[in-house]
Amino acid sequence: MNGKNSVISSRVEALYRDYGKRAKELKDEGKTLIGYVCSFVPVEMISAAGCIPFRIRGDINEPVTKGDTVLETIVCPFIRSCFDLALKGKYDFLSGIVIPHGCDSMTRSYSTWSYSLDLPYAYFLNIPSVVKPASFEFFAEEIKTYKKTLEAFIGHEITEADISQAIKLHNAYRNKIRTIYDFRKSDPPMVSGVEISKILTVGTSLPVEEANALLDEIIEELKTRSEPPLKTGKRILVDGACVDHAGLVKLIEESGASVVAETTCNGMRDTFPLTDEQEDPFTGLARRYLDKINCPKTYRENRAGSFEGNIADRFGDIGRYAEHFHADGAILYVYKYCDPFGFEVPARKAYYNAIDLPLLWIEDLYSSGTMGQIKTRIQAFLEMIEQ
Amino acid sequence: MADYFAGIDIGSTMTKVVILGDEIIATVIGPTGVEQRRLANKVMEEALSRAGIPFEDITYIVSTGYGRINVPFADKQVTEISCHAKGVSRLVPAARTVIDIGGQDSKAIRIDANGRTKDFVMNDKCAAGSGRFVEIIADCLGVPLQEMGTVSLKSKNPASISSICTIWAQQEVTAGQAKGRPIPDLVAGVHRSLADRVVRMARRIPLEKEIVLTGGGAKNAGLVAAVSHMLQTALLVPEEPLITGALGAASLGRNMVEKAIKKGISLETKKRVLDVVQIL
Amino acid sequence: MAEQKKKHKKRRTATRAAASIGPMVKEFIAGTVRAQREGAQKLAYSFIVCHHEEILRAMDVLPIWTENFAGVCGAKRDAERFLQRAESLGFSRSLCTYALCGLGFDHWREELGEMPPDAPWGGQARPDFMISTGQILCDPRAKWYQAAQQYMPDVPIYNIDLPYPLYHPDRDHREELPYYHKYIVEELKGLIAFVEEQTGKKMDYERLWERVRLSDKTWNLIEATYDLRSAIPCPMGTGDAMNTMVPINFMMATQDAYDFFLNLKQELEEKIKKKEGVVENEKYRLLWGGGLPSWFALGDFNYFNSKGAVFPAETTYRMVAPIAEMNIPKTDDPVEHLAWRWLGYWTFWYDKARQRKGGEPDVERLINYIERYKIDGVVMHEAFSCRTWHVGLIWQLHQLAKIYKPIPVLRLGKDGNKTQAWRENPSLVLESDIIDITSYSEVDTRNKIDAFIDTLESVAKSRVD
Repeated sequence: MNGKNSVISSRVEALYRDYGKRAKELKDEGKTLIGYVCSFVPVEMISAAGCIPFRIRGDINEPVTKGDTVLETIVCPFIRSCFDLALKGKYDFLSGIVIPHGCDSMTRSYSTWSYSLDLPYAYFLNIPSVVKPASFEFFAEEIKTYKKTLEAFIGHEITEADISQAIKLHNAYRNKIRTIYDFRKSDPPMVSGVEISKILTVGTSLPVEEANALLDEIIEELKTRSEPPLKTGKRILVDGACVDHAGLVKLIEESGASVVAETTCNGMRDTFPLTDEQEDPFTGLARRYLDKINCPKTYRENRAGSFEGNIADRFGDIGRYAEHFHADGAILYVYKYCDPFGFEVPARKAYYNAIDLPLLWIEDLYSSGTMGQIKTRIQAFLEMIEQ
Repeated sequence: MADYFAGIDIGSTMTKVVILGDEIIATVIGPTGVEQRRLANKVMEEALSRAGIPFEDITYIVSTGYGRINVPFADKQVTEISCHAKGVSRLVPAARTVIDIGGQDSKAIRIDANGRTKDFVMNDKCAAGSGRFVEIIADCLGVPLQEMGTVSLKSKNPASISSICTIWAQQEVTAGQAKGRPIPDLVAGVHRSLADRVVRMARRIPLEKEIVLTGGGAKNAGLVAAVSHMLQTALLVPEEPLITGALGAASLGRNMVEKAIKKGISLETKKRVLDVVQIL
Repeated sequence: MAEQKKKHKKRRTATRAAASIGPMVKEFIAGTVRAQREGAQKLAYSFIVCHHEEILRAMDVLPIWTENFAGVCGAKRDAERFLQRAESLGFSRSLCTYALCGLGFDHWREELGEMPPDAPWGGQARPDFMISTGQILCDPRAKWYQAAQQYMPDVPIYNIDLPYPLYHPDRDHREELPYYHKYIVEELKGLIAFVEEQTGKKMDYERLWERVRLSDKTWNLIEATYDLRSAIPCPMGTGDAMNTMVPINFMMATQDAYDFFLNLKQELEEKIKKKEGVVENEKYRLLWGGGLPSWFALGDFNYFNSKGAVFPAETTYRMVAPIAEMNIPKTDDPVEHLAWRWLGYWTFWYDKARQRKGGEPDVERLINYIERYKIDGVVMHEAFSCRTWHVGLIWQLHQLAKIYKPIPVLRLGKDGNKTQAWRENPSLVLESDIIDITSYSEVDTRNKIDAFIDTLESVAKSRVD
């Protein structure tokens, strides 16, 4: 089934390998592309503006060079890689950029990004770091400012109908991703982690309508797939920040396991939560991005009054996903210099221990150069849970 | 005919082979160095000749260590984590923690009574956290590497080497030398610095007794003393701390075969030809 | 190394006021430990720069400044054992080392049920509650206490969100201020409600106003005091300011802070009258343009001094700005005033930046200080573990050099004739950490400083004014 007519092994693969290929064509056709990093940017608004949201990606195979001349090496290695590629002209087709208050590495480098790239449109989106009634109200206002700046940029109004329509389209995208995830539930899964990694990466580089059409074709292909792509092995959940390449998952799957879920920034953390279509669009978006995206950057009050209760609240979604996809073990993959995730490692370890899911914690740089060392750790971990 | 199992552990500096019957029947250690890639198979050849058995008689061969992937005659690859765990447990049944200080990396493994890994940590490939650190400093001070341990034990007042970076540590040692600090104090300081790195990593897992130190680092009495000092506890060092990986590999090979027999399945084996080992 | 505690020579300060800080910090750390024992006052783990000191002081809550304690551990070269403990708990050494030090300490104290052995200055007291803060300043501030709760699950947290709008050159931030203000007021009120619940006392808003007025008055006094440092020779440098940051950041809204600056101002005025400078033969005036200092290596400031260099100004820890210039709307509500002041402080340079091509608030502030304090060069410190204050610095130096060239020099033209040109201020970036001494090399740092002094000298020689 992975033959010539396969959408996954041909189109997805091509778009994955030459990231931004389609974006360049669209730019040449006169379309406006707006780049963003992180899961916190309401891409719906960009689509509603008639522009194309494009998720800026790093490249683990490209050493950071030019970027280091203006951006400190103590910045999260993923953001450094993204910035380096942008500075090297890889994303020259972008007309604008949106950076959210996702972490210090993004926030504190906003001036560096906006001045160095000097794009016609640049916006820093402020996101509250707590979840309270007042923060929803604030955030809805901030989304309105974001909308206003986009309107000023495109020169016309974005109507509520435009936004509602975009919300529907992006929800549809997320629902289709869920449908694809369903193919992982069998043992062995009918879709590999490497395939999903590539689909997730490619999906956010296309106009949402095109992405939806592509996902439809992928779903059709998976429905008719007769042979699982991988042999039966241990089922692994990958937890962590943005892993927008297939390298890590490939290592895991080459070692005989299958990746069946990823609670990462470009994985389920971002693709599973939906925007409520019944609510007023600003409130709906504020709720989705502030509350439903479960990022360590957002402080969640300890309502349980105990540590055990608190971690069950904070990380409960991980446990539910692990159960839903029958995970045998988890890999917590955290970048060096990542304060939001880094400060949660002991709590997350305690959580995995509480739900009795074996865990391997890896701290890494965003580079293919470190993959060899990680491989031994992954293999040892698999040997450990297999014994 | 007794069953024989071989374990080959290709580390960054040394290649180790153990042939196991009911007991260990042969152990050979040889350098891995870049020019001596062929030595991996030579080491195996040597082990066979010492054991006095033909290659075909080896039931199962497990390779481990960073060069494990490229052993053409190995039937199975297993990581050094699992192998050290198993090997140490065989030699020291009371062991619950293994700290291995190799030439290029170091690791700490928590094990159960059966030599199974319960948890582990491994450091990043970094000279300052491995045996390489001692080599670099030995070179810098002009002390023969194998004497570093004994030299350091002469120190009454180890120098404080605070830098985590090998290059800076080198600078500190040179500066200390210029200030007239006795060499034993500097060497002892360097051992403490490395021990500190290793212990900091190891503390990420609960360090239960008995703690066994293996790898090249365990052959350095100065380093063993420094790690023991940091952990405030006595350490056990196997008679030959370099072979625990290879022994574990051979031992795990035996387990695999026994398990397969129990299940009534057959295991695939490679052709018993001593092909050249290419280490990338 | 575990044994980091060398006998460390006491650093020379230029002012009496700065010299008095050490005992003062020692006393307020000891004071919190005492208060905890006596139980009369509630103790709160707190972060600096939250504009909530007035609330805490008005409600008799004693803040425990956890960043301060970590800094003290660093300055005493005794942070390593706490950092290592945090590391063994599973925290990466690449994270904020203040937080790591605090977490290591807390874990140890909780495990023992008493202070860890030989705790610096008697140790950090166990809090009754913790006030963390998700601003758009610093991630660890929202994560640190949450992580600490793993070891003290009974200690509640209030997390206060204090955002401010980031600078956009083409947009007037005032349009957004109303909803920012409304949110911050809600957040501060939430804090008051939380503290009322924790202490069982009601907020006395008259007292709050008194505290707010007192700190406003102190802000203005600090501005006036620090402006005196523009004198030639400069009477007080950044080395001392790393001491005098204590009343600014840890004692705001107290009479002691106000009195401290009253004394300092007087002392500086006397020095100026006597033409008494930090260094005898002042050659170079430098701006500490970014980065927290290495607390264990404050002696480096003396090293600069030994080369005839002095630091009349720093952007670090000068967490005040002239209030009169903020145009704070009149209000009867002290909480509303605090919220406006918060926004006024963070957007202080926005309008000025917009007036300059390529301007940006942080860069604008550098330019302003360079002119106000007659600066010859800029020094920054890149602390590896802190992204909050150390990301964007290199870019700021680039941008500064691009848009601001204050030094007149002669340049050889293509035709062989010399023409008048302008060059940028020389700059130096030091690399280490706030408290992790393993990241520091004295040899390396001093080599860099020597080379920088050489550059300053050659620039001074080529000046043509």
